[in-house]
Amino acid sequence: MAQHVLYRLLLAVPVLFGVLLLGFLLLQLVPGDPATVIAGPMAPPAVIEEIRRELGLDKPVIVQFFLYLVRVLQGDLGHSLISNTSVIEELAAAVGPTVELMVACLVWSVPLGIAMGTVAAVRQGGLLDRVIMAFSVAGVSMPIFFIGLLLMQYFGFVWQLLPFIGRGGPLWSIDGLRHIVLPAVSLGLIFIGPVARMTRTAVLEVLRADHVRTARAKGLREKTVVLKHALRNALIPVVTLVGLQAGYLLGGAVVTESIYSWPGVGRLAVGAILSSDFPLAQGAIMVLALAFIIINLIVDVLYAVLDPRVQRS
Amino acid sequence: MATTALKATARRLLAGGVCLAAAGLVAAPALAQSITVVREVDSDRYDPHRSTARAASEVLFMVADTLVSLDYDMQTVKPGLAERWEVSDDGKTYTFHLKDGVKFCDGKKMTAADVVYSLKRWIDPATKSPVAWRAGEVEDIVAVDDRTVEYRLKAPFSELLYQLTQSFAVVIDQATVEKLGGDFGVKGFNGTGPYCWVEWRPRNDLKLARNPDYNWGPPIYENTGPAQVEEIVWKIVPEENTRMAAVATGQSEITQYVPYSTLNTLRANPQLLVSQSDAAFWTYFAGFKIDREMVSEEAVRQAMVLAVDQDAIAENLYFGEVEPAHSYISQAALDWDKDLDDKLIRTDVEKAGKLLDEAGWKMESDGFRYKNGKKLSPVAYSFAGSTWQKLMEAMQGDLRKVGVDLDIQAFDATIAWGKMATQEFDVFGMSYPYISAGDALNLYFRSANTPTPNRMNWKDPETDELLDRGKAALDPETRAQAYGKVLEKVHQAAVWIPLYHEPMKLVQTKKLAPVKPHNIYGCGLYKGLDIKFQ
Repeated sequence: MAQHVLYRLLLAVPVLFGVLLLGFLLLQLVPGDPATVIAGPMAPPAVIEEIRRELGLDKPVIVQFFLYLVRVLQGDLGHSLISNTSVIEELAAAVGPTVELMVACLVWSVPLGIAMGTVAAVRQGGLLDRVIMAFSVAGVSMPIFFIGLLLMQYFGFVWQLLPFIGRGGPLWSIDGLRHIVLPAVSLGLIFIGPVARMTRTAVLEVLRADHVRTARAKGLREKTVVLKHALRNALIPVVTLVGLQAGYLLGGAVVTESIYSWPGVGRLAVGAILSSDFPLAQGAIMVLALAFIIINLIVDVLYAVLDPRVQRS
Repeated sequence: MATTALKATARRLLAGGVCLAAAGLVAAPALAQSITVVREVDSDRYDPHRSTARAASEVLFMVADTLVSLDYDMQTVKPGLAERWEVSDDGKTYTFHLKDGVKFCDGKKMTAADVVYSLKRWIDPATKSPVAWRAGEVEDIVAVDDRTVEYRLKAPFSELLYQLTQSFAVVIDQATVEKLGGDFGVKGFNGTGPYCWVEWRPRNDLKLARNPDYNWGPPIYENTGPAQVEEIVWKIVPEENTRMAAVATGQSEITQYVPYSTLNTLRANPQLLVSQSDAAFWTYFAGFKIDREMVSEEAVRQAMVLAVDQDAIAENLYFGEVEPAHSYISQAALDWDKDLDDKLIRTDVEKAGKLLDEAGWKMESDGFRYKNGKKLSPVAYSFAGSTWQKLMEAMQGDLRKVGVDLDIQAFDATIAWGKMATQEFDVFGMSYPYISAGDALNLYFRSANTPTPNRMNWKDPETDELLDRGKAALDPETRAQAYGKVLEKVHQAAVWIPLYHEPMKLVQTKKLAPVKPHNIYGCGLYKGLDIKFQ
């Protein structure tokens, strides 16, 4: 197992390098000149040039990248061009809310998705199956910003049940809990669909397997057959899917955080890109990439735990 | 049997969900006497000498004080940290007598030395303040004693007092500036304002707490201190409809940043109050780069000015919520020359067409004008985004009626400033805040201010002389006359197309007592001393 994890960790290094390089190059293509932003609207061109020199923006892109890489390896992500705060500090403050949002999303959407998928499988072809599958398709098809605005409109604006601006405090406080409901529900709604569909397919397949027939023949209760013998075996592809989708959730979190003014990494990245704050944008991209890699690593490990054949291969 | 099992599982899940929702729906008690103000953008930092953004001034007015303050009429200078002041006969020396008992947020007593330090830091070349010019040509600033400051000028500067009301002239604590270095106005701040700096999370929120010792507020407020709410949270909400919804649902108590399209809905809401300041001192205009071939002819520029329908723009684009601009500055501004009241710029499409005909620009079958085979198609640089895009398109439509094909090129705000510092366009779109005619004209029309902010390349010795005369005038009439002549001159030369003046509008919950909107540098809440729950 340790060897497997080590192998996966080693694979993460070139991936991270690739993300850093790509992120750096893409940011060069984004329209915007940080020197102009810092200098302000009244600054004469000479001042802008001086700032550009100070920031090293006058050097060739590849030189800028390698200088950046050296600093990153030394644990220095630089300072925000806009607020002059350390990028690490800004990211550290934003990681917590993003993790909070993802956990709050997964904690209700994964069990519900699995439950819905299992119900749909057991009731295959019935009305409940169709309703659940229709709900799943709607969840997958609707863009997250639409779901977010819809929830905000009704639960926040029309019925005034829940707040929709920012983070109210730590998750264990009532205010914190109230503030996270709408973002977590918006994000979770896009997650339920794929989980439910995958669970349904997997459970259906397992329900037809020999060991399930044997379990039934032994006279086990249907509840035990479905939950212990069928669902447990069906969970392997579901775990993979949850892992992969959790990575994509980070993308969804960027939109959700922007809509609900949630102070997470996604919103930080968008703000940094829009204000040409290159060091901060680069840092945020790196954190998002790292999170994606870590999530995939966890999935790999879980996969190996659930199916020992993976380790052997 | 399977159904029973699943039903049980579903019941458990449902019960968990209901518990979660129930816990969430319990109304959370808000921090007593705390208000949230939502706004669109954050500042880059809160250093009074390095930040020119309105977002910075909004906070700086609350956490710090200026020597003098500005009344709601935007014309009368009132005491601030100085209880009184005298101006020498030659207009070159201002003596300020400071109030007694003023303290910084950390409890340290404020003295004349702090005032001198703050003002000198503003004009120090090492500070690189982009607004140092606002301090006038300073010879020296001296602390005569603990409570007296002498501000000595090389030449009279009749607007000095008005400039000293701005957030760039606030008094800050030297020890804090030196201790925090580059983090001053980022991680901390120490001023004498009605509120004290608590914490800033860039792009998210900024928290201020009431300064309990404050009792030296400007006399424009009934309450001169301390502030009447415990905490103010400035929260960034970039999406405009979310801001509107926030104030409508009580998640924000007050804001000036709501879209015009929603104001009537908000007015109809019995829980909200929409108020407006009398004067609009934030003006939107399109400027010509007058030495560019396409717009170098005065007749062409005049025709373009006459073709644009400001009234229609104000009515159709802004639902009548803004004031159409018929001059380059608001008629309510200090030093507006009354002689110009009957010389305002008015739309006249017919005259515009005639002017272009006379100038040799002939209308062709495609509906556009040509001269020597060249199409009349000026390039306009503008900011990308809803406001400027709509404005430019409205102008484009009006200009098309007289055969001018406006070629709009919009840029993201982060590069637009750089683009507008170049010489590659014919027309540009811009807006700006000001306190007086002189403030606006000195900034934009001085020959020395090319290429920015005088992006028009308007170089005229007579204008410079008139501006000098206005700046050095010792009486208001001479000043207004000099600035009036400048305005008449640039109106005649059609250097700008005035578009609209933006009034200050505040939307607030009726749980708060009515807050009177101020308009200083576009900061509706000014010092926030009148914010209180009913």
